[in-house]
Amino acid sequence: MVKEDDKSAKLDKGKGKAVDTPDKKDVDPSKPTTEKSSNGAKKGKKDEPQEEELSEEDQQLKSELEMLVERLKEPDTELYKPALEAIKNFIRTSTSSMTAVPKPLKFLRSHYPSMTELYEKWPTGPNKIALADVLSVLGMTYSDENTLDSLKYRLLAPTEDLGSWGHEYVRHLALELGAEYASRSEKEADTKDLTDLGLALVPFFLKHNAEADAVDLLLELEIIEKLPDFVDENTYQRVGLYMVSMVPLLSPPDDKTTLETAHSIYRRYNKLAQAIILAIRLNDLDLIQEDFDATDDEVLKKQLAFLVSRQQIWLQTPDEEISNCLNNARLSEYFAALGKELNILDPKTPEDIYKSHLESSRGGPGGTVDSAKQNLANSFVNSFINAGFGSDKLMLVEDESTSWVYKNKDLGMLSATASIGMLHQWNVETGLSIIDKYMYAAEDHIKAGAALAIGILNSGVRTDTDPAMALLCDEAYLDSKSPHIRVSAIMGLGLAYAGSQRVDLLDLLLPIVSDTSLSMHVSAMAALSLGLMFVGSSNGDITSTILQTLMERDDSQLKDKWGRFLALGLALLFIGRQEDADATLETLKAIEHPIAKHTEVLVDACAYAGTGNVLKFQSMLHLCNEHIDSSEDEKKDDDLFQSYAVIGLALIAMGEDIGAEMALRQFGHLMHYGDGVIRKTVPLAMGLLSASNPQIKVYDTLSRYSHDNDIDVAINAIFAMGLVGAGTNNARLAQLLRQLASYYHRDPNSLFMVRIAQGLVHMGKGTLSVNPFHTDRSVLSRVATAGLVTVLISLVDAKSFVLDSAHYLLYFLVTAMHPRFLITLDENLQPLPVNVRVGQAVDVVGQAGRPKTITGWQTQNTPVLLAYGERAELEDDEYISLSNTLEGLVILKKNPNWGGRD
Amino acid sequence: MGGPPSGDQNDKSKDQKKEKPKYEPPPPTTRVGRRKRRAAAGPDAASKLPTVFPNARCKLKLLRMERIKDHLLLEEEFVHNQEQLRRNKGEKGGLEQRQEEERSRVDDMRGSPMGVGNLEEMIDDDHAIVSSATGPEYYVSIMSFVDKDLLEPGCSVLLHHKSVSIVGVLTEESDPLISVMKLDKAPTESYADIGGLETQIQEVREAVELPLLHPELYEEMGIKPPKGVILYGAPGTGKTLLAKAVANQTSATFLRIVGSELIQKYLGDGPRLCRQIFQVAAEHAPSIVFIDEIDAIGTKRYDSTSGGEREVQRTMLELLNQLDGFDDRGDVKVIMATNKIETLDPALIRPGRIDRKILFENPDQNTKRKIFTLHTSKMSLSSDVELEEFINQKDDLSGADIKAICTEAGLLALRERRMRVQMADFRSARERVLKTKSEGEPEGLYL
Repeated sequence: MVKEDDKSAKLDKGKGKAVDTPDKKDVDPSKPTTEKSSNGAKKGKKDEPQEEELSEEDQQLKSELEMLVERLKEPDTELYKPALEAIKNFIRTSTSSMTAVPKPLKFLRSHYPSMTELYEKWPTGPNKIALADVLSVLGMTYSDENTLDSLKYRLLAPTEDLGSWGHEYVRHLALELGAEYASRSEKEADTKDLTDLGLALVPFFLKHNAEADAVDLLLELEIIEKLPDFVDENTYQRVGLYMVSMVPLLSPPDDKTTLETAHSIYRRYNKLAQAIILAIRLNDLDLIQEDFDATDDEVLKKQLAFLVSRQQIWLQTPDEEISNCLNNARLSEYFAALGKELNILDPKTPEDIYKSHLESSRGGPGGTVDSAKQNLANSFVNSFINAGFGSDKLMLVEDESTSWVYKNKDLGMLSATASIGMLHQWNVETGLSIIDKYMYAAEDHIKAGAALAIGILNSGVRTDTDPAMALLCDEAYLDSKSPHIRVSAIMGLGLAYAGSQRVDLLDLLLPIVSDTSLSMHVSAMAALSLGLMFVGSSNGDITSTILQTLMERDDSQLKDKWGRFLALGLALLFIGRQEDADATLETLKAIEHPIAKHTEVLVDACAYAGTGNVLKFQSMLHLCNEHIDSSEDEKKDDDLFQSYAVIGLALIAMGEDIGAEMALRQFGHLMHYGDGVIRKTVPLAMGLLSASNPQIKVYDTLSRYSHDNDIDVAINAIFAMGLVGAGTNNARLAQLLRQLASYYHRDPNSLFMVRIAQGLVHMGKGTLSVNPFHTDRSVLSRVATAGLVTVLISLVDAKSFVLDSAHYLLYFLVTAMHPRFLITLDENLQPLPVNVRVGQAVDVVGQAGRPKTITGWQTQNTPVLLAYGERAELEDDEYISLSNTLEGLVILKKNPNWGGRD
Repeated sequence: MGGPPSGDQNDKSKDQKKEKPKYEPPPPTTRVGRRKRRAAAGPDAASKLPTVFPNARCKLKLLRMERIKDHLLLEEEFVHNQEQLRRNKGEKGGLEQRQEEERSRVDDMRGSPMGVGNLEEMIDDDHAIVSSATGPEYYVSIMSFVDKDLLEPGCSVLLHHKSVSIVGVLTEESDPLISVMKLDKAPTESYADIGGLETQIQEVREAVELPLLHPELYEEMGIKPPKGVILYGAPGTGKTLLAKAVANQTSATFLRIVGSELIQKYLGDGPRLCRQIFQVAAEHAPSIVFIDEIDAIGTKRYDSTSGGEREVQRTMLELLNQLDGFDDRGDVKVIMATNKIETLDPALIRPGRIDRKILFENPDQNTKRKIFTLHTSKMSLSSDVELEEFINQKDDLSGADIKAICTEAGLLALRERRMRVQMADFRSARERVLKTKSEGEPEGLYL
């Protein structure tokens, strides 16, 4: 900058000027003073400030720059080089304030056009290149939006040292690069030079803490896959984080390539835990296997196995211990350890949850409560609240004669028996021995219940002996004469092997689907079970078989209420498959029966589940536009697809936070304008959108809907309240539900639903979650989604399913139930209590420095529970976590550099 | 809340339901009677748009914003279509007419004129105690069409003229005193009218304007933008002028108050006013609050027996809380001005409340010249005027003094009915100004 001795010289110079100015003004005294003063005032406002504001230094700078430009215009080529160098020097050394354009640039503005002309005239040579260099920088401030001068001259002046012109310039260049690339690729012109320049900019960005710019630029230039070559160990974490959080917002195929690039970055830096999660998101089995095999470290392998098993992907491995991890075999053990630590092993009775002494029962004992319905509700609530703990006060009591099972009637017995499965969930051996005695009971309903119980018991875990397969594929069950036993066995298989993609089961169940002589009930449930097992696989055999069935069955059969599960089975196959479903959708168009339209919507919604795709969201919304008159019996259920569309809205939006929030707004409009069929589904969709995530605004709205005139809306809203609070023990929700219990104490159906909702809220005594997203809310569990959607579809017409006799469909929730714990293990997989901080997760993408990832944390000793949106981090560096996200089962390693607590 | 009263209400609404199947039981209002924050949960929160992170300029932010836009477009499309459909139907069924009728019926029920009262206490979901301006308190019922979410103790309500039942809520407007402080017309002074003070201008812009315009710059750097600045220095050095220029330049809401305005007649009024100013500022964010002559309330605390003194101190404590208290104020920037910074309470100007202290000094030669040229540029000067003479003299002149000299010179010229200001005018003007300036300082008397 300017030195001291210069200043005095300039002062003198400036002095002369300051005196000059008033003089000049007085030169024309001929004009009358009045006019002059007004003139002067005007001038003073408009022109003079710009002129006069220049301080002496500025004047000097300006004249020097002018002189340099003049020199360029002169014919003496000798002087060009030093002149250009001087101009460059001025520009580079000008430290500007944040608020203004650097002064040299400001002063050179007037010369920009003449300099561009000069450039055209000059002969090629180093001087011309140097001039282009300068023009490129000047172009940043002067050129119009669409000429992209900066870029034009930059391409004419190849240089390596881009960074020397400053950050702002590089950014501007990147901006123009993106614009130019877009316009060129429209014209399909060559873009090689642009990509080369882009790649030259990337290292600068990465070096200067602008990872976001680097990623943005490469995305614009569609060469994101080149990024891994540039990142280093200081930047890869931030780059990866930024890219991953961008994925849900990108349109395909960009999202996939971005994920793949992030994956290869993590692979390069040997962050297998992070890489494998991305591989799971990509749903690429080969990639998962590859990541899994990439390490020889036994312990790390176990950690990877835990991550894979959380998604319920069945990998094969020879090592017994690792395959134990993959099979979730010790889940029950860890869950019991959690229960012990939290001191909640004591079983609870439904009454502990209802707290009916707090309900204000007005109207005295006059209420005619349907006791069968109440008992049924108690069975469900009992199984939900004690799920996985293996002990309760209702079902598993010693005294045989007073067994709770016999206090139920008919299908109630089925559900009651099946609840044993949930009580012993994940604990296959103990559970089987208890269920065993019910397998040989006289009543068909109990046998059926036992079959379902086996399925529930095995859900999410795997054993080598395959007890579910061995027991349920038995002739007495799968080919039983009694439809209930048969259906239960089919459902049991579906639940036990959800997500397993077992081909041997395919051969067993496919004939049941295709056999048109069987009742719709059996076939549809078989299709649903297949859908669960092969969820998100777009399996061709099953697809064609279900489509075949849809074509072959009579219209009257398709009209059967169970028909919708046939459609659902098909839809589940395509969860998250996006375009893969297109062929199926085309085929469905060929079927005339209205069920085809319903199926189409369902398949489409499932295919884009969790993507946040706006276009699909829009098409679902369009489906809700019509008002269909379905009052006549003929046209009954013709508007079912609108319900599916509403659930589809939630399915699509749930992948991404902003979309989810906006969808909630949309539901408000749907509630306002929609017909009954839409209105009754909206609460369910809201429940799905924020499962196990009780936000005040959601359950406030739901509690308003729970008083709706339309009883269907009210019932679904009540269930949704349960779903929203599932496994959270949320006190506010519990209170709201208690109020509802007294409000609806005369309506058995509503009361049943209130009880179920209460059971859901206290699910697993507050240790479980049904949210389909796991591992820091980044991965969508397809199995969990499938279970949730099944339950919701059955509730769309609650009166004919859950409130009628098919209440056992509620057990499909079991696939979504998973403990929301964090258990830290040592290298031998023994629980290792350490201190962790648990707090609300903060989005740290794109923030400078190393911001805290959690806020409002508390320090706790593991094992701990993590609520939705909470994150944990280790308190100190004593251990190193093998997984990046502290969630579920995490293996810790001793930190070799740990200096000890001071 | 909860317990028996709500059960009561539920049963009642159920009975009503039997009589009139059309009647919708009012949703259980859960927060009734509790003061809530404006931005808190409720229907408002549900319709609020999600906030977009990160603040840095990057594609992620763009994509997220675009996503919101897409969804909003979808909403618009849907609502538009439905309204269209409804209108088509309405033409047949006279839906609009019915709405009109219902509206007029509500108006009938409200009656006219309506009294204005104060809600004292909520008894249960549809009864409350109100006080009217004339004094007596009534136990009245709340009409079902009143939005109960808006009712909170202390708010103004509309009362039926006969039954005195609540028929409406007046959404609470803050004190009219404050709306006066909001600047509607920008002052004419701009940065160009300030001679010198370049560093001060830059500091103020960096601390006040830039955080409002480009918050992402600070985010990128990983720092929190400054919350406020204090301008201090000798009288007449341009503190208020600079604030005016800021107000002229900015598009943010500009609230200006003088410290003495915060001193009120009644106990508690001052702190309340202070709170309300910042509340208004937060509502109209982004905004700039300019408090001139802060030493009126911001002097150091000391033990005082006078009630008035203590009240002033309490006002300052409220100000302290508003500046950096428990609640985040968001996009509210504070500019204070004083010429006695040493008397201010240290808590008031600690970093975090006031992050930048900007000193205004008497102008040096360079600046003096600028100020002179600025003021004389609009004057008609005769050719013999040589301002350099004044500039080089070592008088301790402030900006205001220079202006006074110029004005005085003009006045002198006017006295003699000359159309030009001459050098002699300036000289005598300077004498006069310097004389009156030193007259105010009696210390020379005792030397």
